Amino acid sequence: MPLFFWRRFVLMKTMAVLTIGAGCLLGLTDAAVKLIHGGSYSAAFGYLNPFYLSFRIDALSAFFLISIFAICLLAVLYSYHYVDHAPDALRIAVHYLFFSLLIGAMALVVTADNLITFMLSWEIMSLSSFFLVITQFENAENRRAGYLYLVFSQTGAMFILAAFGVMFAHSGSFEFSDAAGLPEAAKILVFVLAFIGFGSKAGVFPFHAWLPHAHPAAPSPVSAVMSGVMIKTGIYGIVRMYSLLDWHTPVFGEIVLIAGVVSGILGVVYALGQHDLKRLLAYHSVENIGIILIGVGIGMIGAAADQPIMAVLGFAGGLLHVLNHAIFKSLLFMGAGMVLHATGTRAIDSLGGLLKRMKITGTAFLIGSLAISGLPPLNGFVSEFLIYLAGFHGLALGRIDFGLCVVAIVGLAIIGGLALACFTKVVGVVFQGEPRSQAARKAHEKGPAMFAPMIVLAAGCIAIGVFPGFFLPMALKAVSALGLGYDPIPLAPFLQLTGNITQAAALIFVVFLLILALRYFLYRGKTVTRTGTWGCGFTRPTVKMQYTGSSYAASILEFFRPAAPLTEDHPGVRGRFPQKTHYHSHIEDIAERYQGAVFVRPVLAFFDRLRWLQHGDIHLYIGYILLAIVVLLFFV
Amino acid sequence: MNSIIFLTLAMLLAPLYAGLIIKVKAFFGGRKGSPLLIHYYTLAKLLKKGSVYSTSTTVIFKLGPMVSLCTAATALMFLPIAGQPPLFSFTGDVILVLYLFGLGRFFTIAAAMDTASPFEGMGAAREAYFPIICEATLFMILILFYTLSGELNLAAYFSGDRPLALWQTAGAPLLFVVIAFFIVLLTENSRVPVDDPTTHLELTMIHEVMVLDHSGPDFAFIELGAFFKLFFFSTLVARLICPVTLTHPAAAAVLFLGVLGLVYVAVGVTESVMARYRMDKVPQFVLTSFALAFFATVITLEFLR
Repeated sequence: MPLFFWRRFVLMKTMAVLTIGAGCLLGLTDAAVKLIHGGSYSAAFGYLNPFYLSFRIDALSAFFLISIFAICLLAVLYSYHYVDHAPDALRIAVHYLFFSLLIGAMALVVTADNLITFMLSWEIMSLSSFFLVITQFENAENRRAGYLYLVFSQTGAMFILAAFGVMFAHSGSFEFSDAAGLPEAAKILVFVLAFIGFGSKAGVFPFHAWLPHAHPAAPSPVSAVMSGVMIKTGIYGIVRMYSLLDWHTPVFGEIVLIAGVVSGILGVVYALGQHDLKRLLAYHSVENIGIILIGVGIGMIGAAADQPIMAVLGFAGGLLHVLNHAIFKSLLFMGAGMVLHATGTRAIDSLGGLLKRMKITGTAFLIGSLAISGLPPLNGFVSEFLIYLAGFHGLALGRIDFGLCVVAIVGLAIIGGLALACFTKVVGVVFQGEPRSQAARKAHEKGPAMFAPMIVLAAGCIAIGVFPGFFLPMALKAVSALGLGYDPIPLAPFLQLTGNITQAAALIFVVFLLILALRYFLYRGKTVTRTGTWGCGFTRPTVKMQYTGSSYAASILEFFRPAAPLTEDHPGVRGRFPQKTHYHSHIEDIAERYQGAVFVRPVLAFFDRLRWLQHGDIHLYIGYILLAIVVLLFFV
Repeated sequence: MNSIIFLTLAMLLAPLYAGLIIKVKAFFGGRKGSPLLIHYYTLAKLLKKGSVYSTSTTVIFKLGPMVSLCTAATALMFLPIAGQPPLFSFTGDVILVLYLFGLGRFFTIAAAMDTASPFEGMGAAREAYFPIICEATLFMILILFYTLSGELNLAAYFSGDRPLALWQTAGAPLLFVVIAFFIVLLTENSRVPVDDPTTHLELTMIHEVMVLDHSGPDFAFIELGAFFKLFFFSTLVARLICPVTLTHPAAAAVLFLGVLGLVYVAVGVTESVMARYRMDKVPQFVLTSFALAFFATVITLEFLR
């Protein structure tokens, strides 16, 4: 609808934001009510005679719907001041059209109840987000990112379609509910195909190559939605597929867990090597998808080994991390968007000192950083804590599962440490220290519609971190919808856990307040002066002497060199009167490198060989058609 | 009641024990050394002073010392001292405590990055790097503890009627665990051979260079937090070596404080007989601890379960 009003810029924007926002709010309340009351609701519509579209909302769908609608509501509010370039009105109107399509499609994906409906919604979602990625299409890099995304999402969709094809071939129906009757060999095939397909949407290593290109290319509110919730539809797909196949075999859990650990560690290592703020955040999505998959994988192993506590803790931790990641990742993308908006650059090493000029953004970003590093008393800690507990419960199992749980626990510990290193880099280099460029020096934040969502999200991080007792039952309801056979899941032991976390958080706050009071008392009547930083005897410091993000990460990256090859371009400093020199480093993604070498090039070479088929002679083309019909007549 | 007394005792004694390390080093150097109470004098002196803040800094610079002291003090509340039950305890509190140290580290690093000083950035980068491996080691040790005791809280490992009596069940692997723990202790608390707080060149420091710009009570908070943290890790090592809890609290305290003194002396001896490793060798040293913890787990599982 806003498309019709593109000539009236402000009216168009307001209308778009209000209508989309109202829709999200409506959906949010509805999903929340459905989750609280439980049960499932379904609806079906006829479509193109042979098929019909059917939808069903159970607790799992409602759980995902809540994060979808909540994040989209805030993102669309944020976009009101983000897109403020009036001459681009038509483009912005189109952007809102696809934005609303994307939100609708995501909601349909998580409620779809048969193969056709799911595939249709999935494609609408992929295509609308593709158009959002290439919003700034004049830029060649953005077009390339969009193209890469299209290739990945369509290839992924092919895998999902293949999985659905196998399901249809065996069950002969489009119904999701008939999937449970498949033979076991087919179930494994379906799960692996679907895992690859959904994994490419979720950004599981090595199918994540589109993510670090597409997220920086998209406008920030869109990145927030894509990274915060859209990639979670991939997780939804994996979890839903697991529940539909209804076969508790450890193999599924093992696949998911290993993929999770690999994506988790490599995602954060690559993130550490990035120089572009939004690209860095995109790699962190790979990492967090890894954490979610670790949780879900442990849950699946627990379900297979008939360890109810382990299974429920794993699934609940993974699903709660879906919500948590949606909150802090969209917060961080909005913060990055604000930085981009205020300074015009995403290059980490040319920013600095922004906290002084952008107080609200800086504080919100700091809270998001603490949360994504999994530190107490914020929300990231809660879900990681649950996954840890599940992992420790798994240590009682047999050899393979024991080993995998050890890998998961140690992997989570390493991921946590690396994420901390990465976000101290971002906060330290972007928001602290002295500005490294003119743009960073003059930055100032603007647009109340951009603050409000960030403040709400930061508050959400703290609320879930301090009072997980209100949010964990939501995740538990979603887990009970998986049909693991543990219904009803008793709430009390889990509320005991969250109660402990609340207590610990309260303890931290009390101790902190005591120290704050002590500090106030100690500084009363003292002289406090301000002067330049102590340069260890060096008297003429310049801002260029500060530690940069590249130098900060260098030693850690050195450690991970086999997985993350670093190329450097630095001629060095020579002579008594050194000339100007430069340093450029680039960290290569091994998935990208090998996919290019092993997969893409042979395929391209093969199709090059077939080029003679396409010669432009219309007569021969008609001949092809005739030939095809004749062949079909023989075979069909 | 006992827990509160012991907690207060720990908080009061932490600086004294850190002074012990200096004394041991002086002994090895053939010097008389500063008095045992040196750290109390320093703290009192710092608390009396005012502060100088860099113009580059923000509020995070002031938060850094407070958070690092807060997390270290909170961690002590979960620590069973001398075999007594800690003030707070619940399933999974070990994970919370390890992540609390992470929180403290985040703010120490952020405060260092706040000053725009290249030296502090350098220290911060190292501070972010080495503890990653330490965390992996600590979780590996936790896995061993969990498989031995089936519990996931500090109180179950180090206090109560059935503390982790590793000497009886798993003597040989325990030696590995103690060494691994000791390496983690040295790394986490920036001691030689990972970091040398007394060196003259800022370029070669880790923790000391990060707190260069702090002064007055802020710096006292940082020092106190560091003493608490060292006390925390030393207590764990001491309880691993000597899991015996005497029935009378006072006797238990004396025994514990004696063993704890031995751990601090061991730190002092290590510092006296070793030089700091080259920075690029440190990861290998810390990785050794992970390997030890890993093999301890493997051995325990193969032969004892």
